[in-house]
Amino acid sequence: MGDIILTMKDIDKSFPGVHALDHVDLEVRKGEVLALMGENGAGKSTLMKVLTGIYKKDSGTITYEGKEVEFKNTREAQDAGIVIVHQELNMLGHLTVAQNLFIGREFKKGIKIDDKKMNEEAKKLFDRLHVDIDPKEKMSNLTVGKQQMCEIAKAVSFDAKVIIFDEPSAALTESEIEEMFKIIRDLREKDIAMVYISHRMDEIKVITDRVTVMRDGSYVGTLITKDCTKEDIINMMVGRVIYEEPKVESAVPKDAPVVLKVEHLNAGKMVQDVSFELHKGEILGFSGLMGAGRTETARALFGADPKESGDIYINGEKVTINNPQDAVRCGIGYLSEDRKRYGIVVQKSVAENTTMASMKNFTNGIFINKKKEREVAEKYVEALATKTPNVDQLVVNLSGGNQQKVVIAKWLTRDCDILIFDEPTRGIDVGAKNEIYKLMNKLVAEGKSIIMISSEMTEILRMSDRVVVMCEGKKTGELDISEAKQETIMNLATREIE
Amino acid sequence: MSKKKTFLGLKGREAMVLGIIIAMVVLFSILSPTFRTYPTVVSVLDNSYYITLMALGVTFPLITGGVDLSIGTGLVSYALIGGYLIVHKGVPVGVGILACIGVGVLIGVFNGVLIAIMDLPPFLATLCTCMITRGLGPALCGGFGVSWPSAISEQGAFRKVFKFISANGTVIPIGIVLMVVLVIVMSFVLDHTRIGRYIIAIGSNKEATKLAGVNVKFYHMLAYIISGLFAGLAGVAYAATYATIYPGAGAGFELDAIGGAIVGGVSATGGVGTILGTFFGVFVICLMKVGLPFIGLQANWQQIFTGIVLIAAVLIDVVKKKK
Amino acid sequence: MKKKIVAVLLSAAMVFSLAACGGKEEKPAESGAAESTESAEKGGEDKGYTFEVIVKSFQSTYWQAAVQGIEKACGELGVTANSNGPANESDIADQVQMLDDVIEKKPDGIGLAACDTNSVKKSLQAALDAGIPVVCFDTGVDDAPEGAIYATVATDNEAAGAVAAENMFPVIEEQIKAATTDKKVRIGEVNQDATAQNIQQRGQGFINKMVELCTEAGKKVAVVGNEFYVNATEGKVAEAEAEVIIEVGVPAQTTVDLASTEAQKIMSKEDTIAIFGSNQTTAEGVITANQTLNKLNTDPAKGIIGVGFDAGTPQKEAITNGQFIGSVTQSPLMMGYETIYTLTDICDGKEVSDIPMDGYWYNTENMEDAEIAPNLYD
Repeated sequence: MGDIILTMKDIDKSFPGVHALDHVDLEVRKGEVLALMGENGAGKSTLMKVLTGIYKKDSGTITYEGKEVEFKNTREAQDAGIVIVHQELNMLGHLTVAQNLFIGREFKKGIKIDDKKMNEEAKKLFDRLHVDIDPKEKMSNLTVGKQQMCEIAKAVSFDAKVIIFDEPSAALTESEIEEMFKIIRDLREKDIAMVYISHRMDEIKVITDRVTVMRDGSYVGTLITKDCTKEDIINMMVGRVIYEEPKVESAVPKDAPVVLKVEHLNAGKMVQDVSFELHKGEILGFSGLMGAGRTETARALFGADPKESGDIYINGEKVTINNPQDAVRCGIGYLSEDRKRYGIVVQKSVAENTTMASMKNFTNGIFINKKKEREVAEKYVEALATKTPNVDQLVVNLSGGNQQKVVIAKWLTRDCDILIFDEPTRGIDVGAKNEIYKLMNKLVAEGKSIIMISSEMTEILRMSDRVVVMCEGKKTGELDISEAKQETIMNLATREIE
Repeated sequence: MSKKKTFLGLKGREAMVLGIIIAMVVLFSILSPTFRTYPTVVSVLDNSYYITLMALGVTFPLITGGVDLSIGTGLVSYALIGGYLIVHKGVPVGVGILACIGVGVLIGVFNGVLIAIMDLPPFLATLCTCMITRGLGPALCGGFGVSWPSAISEQGAFRKVFKFISANGTVIPIGIVLMVVLVIVMSFVLDHTRIGRYIIAIGSNKEATKLAGVNVKFYHMLAYIISGLFAGLAGVAYAATYATIYPGAGAGFELDAIGGAIVGGVSATGGVGTILGTFFGVFVICLMKVGLPFIGLQANWQQIFTGIVLIAAVLIDVVKKKK
Repeated sequence: MKKKIVAVLLSAAMVFSLAACGGKEEKPAESGAAESTESAEKGGEDKGYTFEVIVKSFQSTYWQAAVQGIEKACGELGVTANSNGPANESDIADQVQMLDDVIEKKPDGIGLAACDTNSVKKSLQAALDAGIPVVCFDTGVDDAPEGAIYATVATDNEAAGAVAAENMFPVIEEQIKAATTDKKVRIGEVNQDATAQNIQQRGQGFINKMVELCTEAGKKVAVVGNEFYVNATEGKVAEAEAEVIIEVGVPAQTTVDLASTEAQKIMSKEDTIAIFGSNQTTAEGVITANQTLNKLNTDPAKGIIGVGFDAGTPQKEAITNGQFIGSVTQSPLMMGYETIYTLTDICDGKEVSDIPMDGYWYNTENMEDAEIAPNLYD
């Protein structure tokens, strides 16, 4: 391991209402691969964004190659030799590989772009990295793995001294990952420093030299990879004090009827052979890390995305769900994680949003029965304690928590017995969270059944009667709440892939 | 995946559109004896000049994933202003032509500022400039039609650039030569210069292009300036081909150009398209405009038929994408 | 029209307006406008009425021709007329304001060419309330307040279309007489559209007159092309039986390029002997088509006979160059002239009625005439 090339010290960053980075330290050395680990929302990506100038830090210092620096944008960071290989690929599908590699810094011959030279340079670069990609191929024709290689090659072509990999393996196959590791080892030989953000414990063990762990926006500690176990790392990741009391045991009687049964659901790479049961009056938590396939499972179940195979039974009867209309007809309501995009129509009133999914009941012939619409909307505003001056208020003017209540009202109006809550409290402040929780408990007490997808461990432990854990598109465990602990869940969520 | 099938040295979409053109010519020639005559060829070309110019320009905003709806009423407006200066203010024809093109460029800059800098949706922004240009020409020129100097007058030489009529009445549509030259030039700009590369990149993924350090605002704006410039040129071509410019005309012209570009394979969602494809696409439109009356189809049916052909062309695009 | 329905109302209004006129008659024209002195010099019967005339657009040559006619009538009658109008035909609000202003002035009568027939209704009611007679010209206001409009002076489009046929027929009479069912002749007509009423009437006027003239000459006529005109024409026969075919082309959109395509389609046919473009756009379409075809000629033995409508530089050039034998123009000058006469008649207490204006035939011979030239705008 070489000299220190990059030091981040006492980095502090707040967003409105969130203390995203709380005096974080980080140290990267030449010729090492440093793993940066932590739960969702621990602050890893934020830290890297502060480093590359996407976010401006509130306080703290960044020292790079012995000098204090503060980059204004990614371009400046790039020029200095710090490059991010993004989790989402920033590719221009309609251009060729070479054109992508050199976008913004084309070779020119007079006013003409010298595509020939660009192809040659790209070829040289790929040869150096031992990658077999045709520079003239259209980017959109490449597999995701090859596209990822291009991203890395692009980073290298900037003469990068520090390369940051933000979950690079998320979309890659085993062999593609292996190929990528070859390149990373090669770069390490060339004394390049790398920061490797990933959830995959096995990869961390294989490829990294040191592990820095973050939790809740704070620096926890750094370990030498070869001297520590997976358990050591997990303990550092989850070792937080839990303020809210977790549920001790399930509130659902053992003989409660099964209202929803899903068998061998398959939908692409993110949903592989998922089976589970939901009992009447139960909150079934779905836990897992980002990209584990939970939302995809819910969407496939709901008919929002096509599924390849799988059987769904409602109250013991087999049903066909090909689209959301079918699902709603079966009494399933879905509260999307992305409220603004899928949940509500922000420029419409509370009343209009409330009745949106059950318009048929509010029309006589062709005219909307506004009076009935208002009555029902007012009923739910009262029942859910939605804070709004009146039901004519535009939803855009409500707070996140109250918007969520309007979505819930929408599905209750539709008389749904099974509700899927996808990240029900994302972007909602603590007070409103508690109200949503109370509401969910009230709903199950009334005999509704809830599937709750959540990335917050405390939320899972506090609300669920049972917990399904997913990882890499597969169900990796099912726990009764009495046996569910942070460590067990995290263990299942980061299960090594055989 | 890209098709490697070739036809007369062309591949994919362009070959297909050229095939459609040939099929249409054959069909119309069989159905109408008067269609397969030299004057008809000239007429199709006459019809094509201003549409081709508009289409070459609008291809750039289309490739960024936007659109420019102001070119139709724009070109009439620019031609009115140019003609007004020549006929009523006595400026030389050359100055009138420059004014016509210049106002086009200005409107292009205006569109560019609205869309690239102020972030208005292109459809909305150019719909508004479409209205503005519709009123602009008549407002500046007192509200009545203008005839640019006719071919027989001394000042009418500019008309010969598009259609040369010899002393004994032989007509040579040399405007097509100019069009071919412009197609070559603009193909070069789109395929081999930074301007084109970044405009395709913006249409492909604007965020990523920005992250690559490209001055996205500038190139995004440039797409609309090119469109405005060509609308100005189209104004000159229109004035040169037809007798009188009527105020208030031009609404709907842009649809011929945009339709032509889309038939020629420019994707309505951006990122994809070639100048040659656009050029061929325009001829599909022009052939329909001239050919359908010749085979005896009446006004309403011509429009229905044209609409169906456009749907078919766009469908091919959608179906190909789904594969 | 409705004037007859409201005869009682009308006579009452007349008494009122007469009284108003009479009151003014004794005073010499105070306004001191140039027109009034001029009229005095010309020594016509000096009636001393003052009229306000509002045209659609004061700048355009078409309306300036109307003003010429107005001034001519003023000179002959010894009355005064102040002409005004908005800068642009689309400045509807300006025109309404002008109309309201002149009502305030309480003139002896108002001549109005309304930009927008709907917007002037309120003002017309005000004029009626103030007892000021209004004569509309160029454009009638169909559902104006009863009794407000005393008369309308406007082009009879059907008659104007017929004028084109009457002047075309003698030139091609020989060809028509020589036609047989085996050797048909074809007369083309390009209409801008089949929905606007004035164009409809004009196009139909031409067709009806042509059918009538050909039938008189002992020939059977078929009408083909646009469904509207085919269905609307009476006295036609099936195409196979006919010796003369009238082909009507209507472009899909009202643009010059499509109009020229329609013209070219008809002119390309071997048996076509004549063609009529029924407004400025379509007449220019015929001219544009001819640029490539080069078939128009004033001699029916050598080419196709062309007739146009309205004016504009290209059409005037086509006539002087011998491409068109002539065109039909509406006469804003005569409309202005008749408007003043009608207003004076009203003040004189005479019964007035709507005046349908003819279309005027013009060709190389009379283009420069004082009655015609001012109508031929550029």
